[in-house]
Amino acid sequence: MDASQVAQVTEMMYALRNPAGIPTFPIIFIGLGVLTFALHILFVQLMLGTSAITLYGAFRENAYWRRLGAAMLEIAKVSVSVAVVIGVAPLLFVQVIYDPHWYTSNVLSADWVIAFIVILILAYWAMYYFYFRNSKNADKTAVPSSRWSMLISLALMLVVGFIMHSLTSQILHPELWKEWYMQNGKLDYSGDQLHAFNIWRYAFFISMSIPVTGAMLVTYRRFKSVREDADHDYLNWAAEVGKKWIKVGSVIATVLYVMWMVTLPETAGNFATSIWGILGGVAVIGYALWAQLRLRGEARFCSYMALPMALVIGLVVAISREILRYDILNGFFHYDFFDYKIVMDWYSTGLFFLTFAIVGGVVLSYFLTIAWKSGQTVGVYTPGAGVNKLGTLSIWIVVLWIIQFFVVGFYVWAQ
Amino acid sequence: MDLISLYPTWYEPTVGSGWVVALIATFHVLASHTSVGAALLFAYLSHKAYREDREDLLDFIKKYGLFLLVFTYVAGSITGPGIWYSTTVASPNGIGALIHSFVWKWATEWVFFVIEVVGVYMIVYLVGKVDKRTHMKISVIFGLASWATMLIIVGILSFMMLPGKEQWFADGGYLNGFYGTNTFIQLGMRTAFMFTITAVVGGIVIAGIKDPAFKKEMARKLGWLGIISTIVGALMFQWYLTAVPEQALLVMENRLPDYFMPSIVAVLAGTLAYFIITMIRPQTLVQGFAGAMAVIILVAGLWPEETARESMRKPWVAGQYVYSNQVIGRDVPGMDIKSQLPLLEKVGILKAHPFTPEHLREVNEGNKIQAGEFIAMTYCSNCHSPSETGIRPLHRYFPEGVSQERVAKYVKGVLTTGNIAYMPKMPMTDSEVDALAAYLVLNNNGGQAAVTAAIDSEIAQRDRALAEKNASDKVAALDFVQEVK
Repeated sequence: MDASQVAQVTEMMYALRNPAGIPTFPIIFIGLGVLTFALHILFVQLMLGTSAITLYGAFRENAYWRRLGAAMLEIAKVSVSVAVVIGVAPLLFVQVIYDPHWYTSNVLSADWVIAFIVILILAYWAMYYFYFRNSKNADKTAVPSSRWSMLISLALMLVVGFIMHSLTSQILHPELWKEWYMQNGKLDYSGDQLHAFNIWRYAFFISMSIPVTGAMLVTYRRFKSVREDADHDYLNWAAEVGKKWIKVGSVIATVLYVMWMVTLPETAGNFATSIWGILGGVAVIGYALWAQLRLRGEARFCSYMALPMALVIGLVVAISREILRYDILNGFFHYDFFDYKIVMDWYSTGLFFLTFAIVGGVVLSYFLTIAWKSGQTVGVYTPGAGVNKLGTLSIWIVVLWIIQFFVVGFYVWAQ
Repeated sequence: MDLISLYPTWYEPTVGSGWVVALIATFHVLASHTSVGAALLFAYLSHKAYREDREDLLDFIKKYGLFLLVFTYVAGSITGPGIWYSTTVASPNGIGALIHSFVWKWATEWVFFVIEVVGVYMIVYLVGKVDKRTHMKISVIFGLASWATMLIIVGILSFMMLPGKEQWFADGGYLNGFYGTNTFIQLGMRTAFMFTITAVVGGIVIAGIKDPAFKKEMARKLGWLGIISTIVGALMFQWYLTAVPEQALLVMENRLPDYFMPSIVAVLAGTLAYFIITMIRPQTLVQGFAGAMAVIILVAGLWPEETARESMRKPWVAGQYVYSNQVIGRDVPGMDIKSQLPLLEKVGILKAHPFTPEHLREVNEGNKIQAGEFIAMTYCSNCHSPSETGIRPLHRYFPEGVSQERVAKYVKGVLTTGNIAYMPKMPMTDSEVDALAAYLVLNNNGGQAAVTAAIDSEIAQRDRALAEKNASDKVAALDFVQEVK
C-alpha cells in the first residue's frame, strides 16, 4: 500500500468514530479490556477442555475417566456461564475504543454474528441435555447415554470460537473492508461471509485449553483431597493427568504461538520479534517449566497456584495480543486510540470502580467462601460468625447501592 | 474528504434486520424479566423457608431455579449480549450512541451480572448443602443484585426514547441523560410486568408439584403476585404514555398495527383470568397449560410491546439525535456532537459515506441503479425493506406502475426536506434523487429480479468499457514503442 492509500484508510477509521466520545481516559478501557479478556478466555478454555474430558470419558472404558468426565461436566456448565458473563466486559470495552473496527467487522459478517447467538445457545442446551440424561444415574462409571449431544455441544462451541476469532481478525484489516463490501464487482449487503482468519492464532487459543484444563485437574485433586470421603487414588490419578496436560499442552501451544507470529500480516511490522511478541511465547512455555519445577509430588500450595498461574500466562498473552492490535492499527494505519475525544464523566466512572471494588469484592468474597467451604464439607455446611457477618455486610452493601441509585436519581430528576 | 460516521449496511431480505433485533430482544425480555422476578420471589421464599423451617419451599426454589438456569439464564445471558450483537449489525450508530454515553453504567451492570450468575448456581446447587439461614442470605443478595441490573438497564432504555432531561442536550452529563420521568415510570412498569411473567412461568414449575396442599399454596401465592402486578403494570403503562414525547404518541395512534391495542387488552384480561382460574382450581394447572400461557404472553404481549417501543421512537433510534438510518440529525452541544445534515446537504450521501465504492461516488447513466440501491440501503432499509417481505416493505408505499418522475418529485419534495412526521430528513443531491427514484421504480415494478438484472448489466457495461480502454491503452503503448524504435 502506498502512503495515500494508507491515508485514506486512516481517514475512514477516524470518520467512523462515535462523536459522543468516551467518558474517561482511553487507556483505562484498554486496561480493563485486556484484564477481562484474560479472564474470559481462561473460562472459555476451561469450558472447552472440561467438555473435551467429559466427552473423552464418555467414550473410554475406564472407570476413572468416566468419573472424571462426570465431575468435569459440572465445571464445564459453570464455565460456559462464567465465560459468557465475563465476555460481556471485553465486548463492551472493545466497542468503546475500537468501535470503527468492531462495528465494521460485525456488519460485514452480520449473518455470522446472529448465528453466533443461536449456535451458542444450542451448544449450551446440548450440554445440559447430556447432563439431564445422565445426572440422575448415581453410578458415574456407567456408560453415559446421549453422548452425541456432548459431541455436538463441543463442536458448536468450537464453531462460535471460530466466528469470534474471525470477527476479531477482520478488525486488523481495515485496508480490505471496502473490498469485502464488494463481491464480484457488486456491493454485497448480505453479511454472509467470514472474510479473515489466521488458523494458527485460532489453534493457539484453543490449544491453551489443554494446560488450563490441566491446571483445573491439579486444583480439583487438591480441593477434593480434604474431604472426609475423598478417594485419593482417583484424585492422584487425575492430578497426574493434569500435570501432563500442563506440560505437553504448553509445548503444543508454544509451537502454535510461534506459527501465529510467523504468519502475521505485513502490517504488523516487526511485532513477532519485538519484546511483547517474544514474551507471549516465553510465558506459555514458561508454564510447562513452572509445572515441572513446582508441581512435583503433593504440591499442596502450588496445586492451588496452577489456575492463577494460568491466568497470569493468559494475561501476558492478552497484553501481547492488544499490543499487536495497536502496532497494526496505529503503527501501520495511524489510528491511535489514545486521541479519542474525552467527555469526562467523573460520577459514572467513580460509580463503576466503587461498585466493582466494594459491591463486587465483598459479595463475591462471601459467595466464593460459601461455595468453597460447602464443596469441601460432607453434609450440610453451617458457616461461622465471621462468614455470617460477611453475608449480612453483603446484603447491606447491595441495599445501600440501591438506595444511592434512587437518592441520586430523584435529586437529579427534581433539579 | 468529507466523511461521516456511516457503516456498511446489513440487509436481511426475508424478515429485515429490524425484526431480527426485535425477535432477539423480545426473547431476552421474557428471559431476563422472568429471571429478575424469580430472583426476588426466591428471596421471599427462602426467607420464609428459614423462618418457618420448611424444606418444601427450598425444594420449589431448587426446581424453579434449575428450570430458569436452563431456559432463561442460558438463553437470557446469551441473548443479552445478543441484543448488542444484533443492534451492532442492524444499527451500529444507535448502539454506539448508547455505549459511548453509558459505558460505565453497563460496566456497573456487569458487576451485578457476575453476582447474579454465581448466585443462581449457588441458589440451585446449595439447597440442602448449606443451612437455611445461609441460603436465605444468598437468595436476598441474589434477588437485590438481579433487580439492580434492571434499575440500570431501564435508564439506558429510557434514553433510547428520549434523554432523561432536556438539559442533556445543552449540558451533556451522564446523569442528565439517564434519569428522568420516563426512567422512573418505566422502571415501575417493568418491575410490575416482571412479576407477572414470573408468576406465569412459575406456573410451569407449580404444575409439577405432587402434594395438592403445597400446590394450592404456591398457586395462590403466585396467583396473587400475578394479579396485583398485572393491574399495577397496566396502570403504570397508562402513566408511562404521559411521559413519552408527543411525536411518539402520534406514531402510536397512526402507525401501529390495528391489532396492537386489542392484543394488549386481550393479553391483560387473559392473564388475569388465568391467575384467577389457577387460584380457584390449582388442579387445572398442568405443564402444557402453563407453558402455553408463557408462549401467549411472549407472542401476544411482549412482542407488540417491544415492537411498539421501537416504532414510537421514530424517526430517532437513540437519544432523539441519532436517526434510525444512522445519521446524526441534531446538534448536541453538551456532548460536542454536530448534526451531519449540513454536510449531507452540501456533498450528498454518496460522497459523505465512507464505504461508497469509488465508481459510485458520482452518479451517471452507467451506475444509476447501483447508486440508487446503495442510497436506499443506507437511508431506507433499516425501516423499509426493499424486498417483498420484511419490515414495512418499500413497495407498499408506491402504487403499481408509478413513474420515475413522480417518485423523484416525492423524494425531493418530502424526503430531502424532512417534510414527513415519522421519517428522518434525508439530504441528497439532484443526481442522487434521480438514482434513488430510478431504483425505487425498478424495485417497485420489477422487484429484486429486475434490480439484479439492471445492476448486472451496468457492471457488464463497465467491465466492457474498462476492457476496451485497456486494449486501446495497449495499442497506444505498442504504437509508442514502434515509433521509438
